[in-house]
Amino acid sequence: MKPMVPSRKTTIHVESVCKRFRLGSGSEYSRLTEVIASSAKNWIQRKLWYSTSDVIIDERRQNDERFEGNEFWALRDVSFSVAHGEVVGVVGHNGAGKSTLLKILSRIVTPTSGRVGVRGRVGSLLEVGTGFHPELTGRENIFLNGAILGLKRSEIKKRFEQIVEFAEISPFLDTPVKRYSSGMTVRLGFSVAAHLQPDVLIIDEVLSVGDQAFQRKCMGKATELGSEGRTVLVVSHNLAAISNMCSRALLIDAGKLAMDGVPSQVIEKYLHSMNSIDGLVEWGEHEAPQSTAVRLRRIAVGGTVSDTPTPQVDIDREIELMVEYDVIQADAVNCVQIQLRDETGVFVFSSANAPSMNSGNDTTFGRPLQQGRYRTICRVPANFLNDSRYVVSVFLGPEVGQPSIACDSVLTFVVHDTGAMRREYLGSWYGPVIRPRLDWSTQLVG
Amino acid sequence: MSSDETTSQPLRYYGQRDVWGLGQLREGWQAKELLYSFFLRDLLIRYRQVFVGVLWVLIQPLMSTLIFLALFFVLGANRTESGEVTSTWGYAPIILVGMLLWQMVNNSLRDATGSLVNYRHVVTKIYFPRMLLPLSSLLCAVFDMLVGSVLILPVCYFSGVTIHWNTALLALIAASWLVVFCFGCILWLSALNAHYRDVGYALPFVLQIGMFVSPVVYGTEKIRNLLSPWLLVVYESNPVAATISLARYGLFGSPLPSILGLATALIVTLGIVVSGLAWFQRANQWIADRI
Repeated sequence: MKPMVPSRKTTIHVESVCKRFRLGSGSEYSRLTEVIASSAKNWIQRKLWYSTSDVIIDERRQNDERFEGNEFWALRDVSFSVAHGEVVGVVGHNGAGKSTLLKILSRIVTPTSGRVGVRGRVGSLLEVGTGFHPELTGRENIFLNGAILGLKRSEIKKRFEQIVEFAEISPFLDTPVKRYSSGMTVRLGFSVAAHLQPDVLIIDEVLSVGDQAFQRKCMGKATELGSEGRTVLVVSHNLAAISNMCSRALLIDAGKLAMDGVPSQVIEKYLHSMNSIDGLVEWGEHEAPQSTAVRLRRIAVGGTVSDTPTPQVDIDREIELMVEYDVIQADAVNCVQIQLRDETGVFVFSSANAPSMNSGNDTTFGRPLQQGRYRTICRVPANFLNDSRYVVSVFLGPEVGQPSIACDSVLTFVVHDTGAMRREYLGSWYGPVIRPRLDWSTQLVG
Repeated sequence: MSSDETTSQPLRYYGQRDVWGLGQLREGWQAKELLYSFFLRDLLIRYRQVFVGVLWVLIQPLMSTLIFLALFFVLGANRTESGEVTSTWGYAPIILVGMLLWQMVNNSLRDATGSLVNYRHVVTKIYFPRMLLPLSSLLCAVFDMLVGSVLILPVCYFSGVTIHWNTALLALIAASWLVVFCFGCILWLSALNAHYRDVGYALPFVLQIGMFVSPVVYGTEKIRNLLSPWLLVVYESNPVAATISLARYGLFGSPLPSILGLATALIVTLGIVVSGLAWFQRANQWIADRI
């Protein structure tokens, strides 16, 4: 989709926006230029990759065309426009550039080239407790935040009651925000942003912090704002939320606008792009993540992985997670660790082939290995995970917790509810991460 | 319904440069309510846990005036060149005026330099005219100076110095001039400090030197005899020196700085404000990336 001439209805108009960051260069802090470079590097590492290890950064760097010498293109030639009243979801992998895009839209970050036009007031909620001053009370922060949005005190007063009521924080109004729980901070942040009636509301990922009930309340509010003719832009990894509340979705991939369309189709493409649509990730000899001792070759998921990996697993089938690697150094000791998160980032479990975490038997653990290809399989019991999408991270290293190779969020799979556990229970399963079949019994005892 | 309101508003573009930074002044003016909120908040936080509260604003300049007065007495600075002994107390209003003006400079520069960095969690999460943060520190310092200036009357009364009311307005003009100079300085310092934290470390040192380079705790009479005319112009081109001398001339009839000195000080002030605006505007483009 090419940028169009903004019409009378256009509220957000993004015109070939690019954003480039400078990366650090070796030596730290030798004044002026180096300080700039290293702070940008730190910023990038913090914002885009969270805390992944160096191994994975180098690995991504090789395959990522966004790196150009010392520079990193977080966004490249992104253009779109949004009409008022649209509720638009933005999806993409971690580090794809979604947050940078939202920061540019909310004016915090200036694009390297291109420009952004916005009609009216922009309210943004980019992180938990965004824009709040921790020393000030909830009440003072509401006024401060309102003032930042450009409202007069009288206008804020008019909406004060609504904000407090929606956020459910009235007993803590005069407590400094630094003492709030993260849930309370998000509730207040969302409430302020939504009730001060910005013409454009920008929300990044915060919906995943509050509890379920509040998340639903927020989604309802966002939809309501859209029907009032306000424009809402949401970034979320919660795909269900995106498809429920948005009328349109954008897929950002490697700094580019990869797709713009109906949420269901965009989400489908996004899931396809997670490079594990076959339930399999494979590396060639030279591109594989490796340490001095081992080289990762394959990661796969499925019912019986050895035959056909598949990312679609039935809830009543055992799930196999397979890791294949070459031991390239004779007598190396290797341990395989797997971490599972759900799509909202909730940590489900971490396990390794160490005896303490292993109900089976793995004779290779802790022993010096001869060179060759190894295959480690972890079996997750049937009727254990819930009906949801899960993200797998794999770590290899000499000891548990000391990975020399880290593959974060390398593969995803979906557990499908076949209805096997649904026969008697008609309520919603939405919520729990696991749904184990447990041993229940009742006896007449007297 | 708000949708009609929305469509009637213009589509405002950003991302382009506004070289001289006049747009940010307009933007800052439009957000004056926010500036007021920041100012109020700074004041609140400062005096929230302080027992005597606003009295600190009076105690600080009064105490430093007394200390320097005592120092002068010990050093025998109350002797003129011919050896006559004059009243040390006569110096009190001179030092007080210097102190009030200097503490405004000192406090505004000190607080404003850290203002963007201290609020980086806000600066990187939400947009507002960033100039308001250092500006609010400046306002606080001006507020302190205004409150402190009520000391001038009683101090003059006790030391037996008469105020020249017909030229007293000059002191107000000098103070406003100094505030404009500080505005230029904080634009430079706050954004520089967002980039190079060393600015924050170096500043107290520079301020300490600045206090003695400017006639804060001494009158300019002796300096005039010490320096050659050209060096004197250099000395007076420091806007702090020029404005303090001007304020003392207005209030007590102390010697007026040379016209050349005043003119260069004015040019220096304008240069710093204009370049400060341009610099801050540029810095605004990268501040959230690098702070």
